[in-house]
Amino acid sequence: MADEDDKGKRKTPAAAGAPPKLDRRDLLMGLSTVPALGLFGYAWSRQQQSRRGTEATAATTRPAADLQEINVALLGAGAQGQVLMEAMLRIPGLRFRAVCDIWTEYNLRRVVNTLKRFKQEPNGYEDYREMLDKEKELDAVIVATPDFWHAQHTIEALKAGKHVYCEKEMSNTLEGARSMLLAQRETGKLLQIGHQRRSNPRYIHAYQKLLGEAKLLGRIVTVNGQWNRAVAPDLGAPDRYAIPAAKLKQYGFTDMQQFRNWRWYKGLGGGPIVDLGSHQIDIYNWFLGANPSGVMASGGLLYHDPKTHQWHDTVMVIYDYDTPLGPAKAYYQTQTTNGSQGYYESFMGDQGTLLISESELNYPGQLYRDPNAPVWDEWVQKGYISAPKELEAKQQTGSGAVADVRESVAPDQHAVPVSLRDPYHQPHLQNFFDAVRGKAALNCPAEIGYESAVSVLKVNEAIDAKCRLPFTPDDFRS
Amino acid sequence: MEATTFVRAPMIAITALRVLVGWHFLYEGLTKLTAPSWTAAGYLKQAKGPVAEQFRWLTTRPDLLANADLITMWGLTIVGVCLMLGLFTRLASLIGIGFILLFYLAAPPWIGYFYAIPSEGSYLIVNKNLVELSALVVILLTGSGRFAGLDRILHGLIRRKPRLAAA
Repeated sequence: MADEDDKGKRKTPAAAGAPPKLDRRDLLMGLSTVPALGLFGYAWSRQQQSRRGTEATAATTRPAADLQEINVALLGAGAQGQVLMEAMLRIPGLRFRAVCDIWTEYNLRRVVNTLKRFKQEPNGYEDYREMLDKEKELDAVIVATPDFWHAQHTIEALKAGKHVYCEKEMSNTLEGARSMLLAQRETGKLLQIGHQRRSNPRYIHAYQKLLGEAKLLGRIVTVNGQWNRAVAPDLGAPDRYAIPAAKLKQYGFTDMQQFRNWRWYKGLGGGPIVDLGSHQIDIYNWFLGANPSGVMASGGLLYHDPKTHQWHDTVMVIYDYDTPLGPAKAYYQTQTTNGSQGYYESFMGDQGTLLISESELNYPGQLYRDPNAPVWDEWVQKGYISAPKELEAKQQTGSGAVADVRESVAPDQHAVPVSLRDPYHQPHLQNFFDAVRGKAALNCPAEIGYESAVSVLKVNEAIDAKCRLPFTPDDFRS
Repeated sequence: MEATTFVRAPMIAITALRVLVGWHFLYEGLTKLTAPSWTAAGYLKQAKGPVAEQFRWLTTRPDLLANADLITMWGLTIVGVCLMLGLFTRLASLIGIGFILLFYLAAPPWIGYFYAIPSEGSYLIVNKNLVELSALVVILLTGSGRFAGLDRILHGLIRRKPRLAAA
């Protein structure tokens, strides 16, 4: 094998102490793997092209490249603001002009830097008023600040002549939400509230096709839904990046702990029932075609440290509804001590059940046909639902557990054949920008956001009242 | 490395191995760099094994996490380029080994460890991370960059210097 030594010729001079020369062979061998990098570059660019191609196909309904750019500002660059930013970076025709966040050393810097990597040139601001003053050409403002700032930020942006996409919950108070609605009416600008399931293709399919056209569930009598979330540590902040106490106070926070974990504090957020529940209770109202007529609730701070948590970590709610088809009851629970079974909404009618969630993994849309319901073959053929998968027979040989007359026959299980491959918030933002261009109506305008806020904020009242609180139709008007 | 001798066929094979491992590193790095705001937080939160606590703690510190994200994104990319080119091969292999060791420890396929999200294969103690790690050990110990790679040119230049200085 030593004969095959490629430096065989050089052995002698090396042994003699003379350093080897860099010959042509060394250069060739030295550069021999460079072409592999070129090959990588080629593969990479083809891959990027094909990815863009896939995204373009998925976006066939979107208008083409001759879009007039919409100038947007992101007000609130925290966790949720970053989720929205990521979704917006995938939407063509947007120009980020400004980003505003009071955590200038961290959130603001991070988001501005990320946007720069995507060839955007946003100006960074700490003060939203200064931003609204200076950025005259803004068309739209995306509000992703803590709930107790929503009203002020949204109203001032509307009054400055901007269209607004405001994260849910619309506000932490009814007065705040109402004043936003009034400001929207007064200015005539668009105000979309971030209940993003309203634009999710699976939910739209379920509402329009499965419930509306095919009426697969019959009459919905009960609803059940939940968001179970596992214990999570409080969000921290490094001392190095701490916001000075005076500035925190100016913006309504007592310290960094509160600033980072505002969702748990009274006067700032609404607790898990508002953060998580409002998404799903909004769907109850939508799918049932009614606002609730009454609510009972029980909740408490059962687990978390009361020093740093003020809102209920566990909430169980029962709503009464008078739907166009008759009365219904809807249960909802959220807890933050155990994440098993995650989140879903389950609508149970006399002909079938729809189990649905925003998640593509856990409950991506299942339908169960009640055995006494008319067959669903027509809807399978139309592609509204998948062919049924018959549930495993309950009878098992050798098992003592045998289906008897007390049990209903297991229903067939179908799937909702619609999924969302984009980030969850993208369709809802797309709907907002389509509306800004005058090409769509908002899927969650201020009125709907307000009705949802009325339904949800009442839960915390009902927990304190320890009794059923009625809603009147007037509660939902402003 | 005075009397470095290379046996040709195995060295070609090891060079090919180096280019492939480098390719993988580079792609892992670049996909993270080009994602709008990639972060290891999700991965770290799922960590299991002896250092799981430390990984999870990292996710609660946004400043450290941001650094860890940057180090991972750029580290993988740079190590990838170096391995492909055979530039600073031994240093790059060493850093690569460090990265993979961390990845391995974050989700070790040890006896009694089960993962909810199934990977594309089945592993017991040995997984692809460990195989890639040992590939890097081979690359580290054989100095493949000096056989076929920019290290060969670099090495030649440095070795020539004293002679030039003496002249």
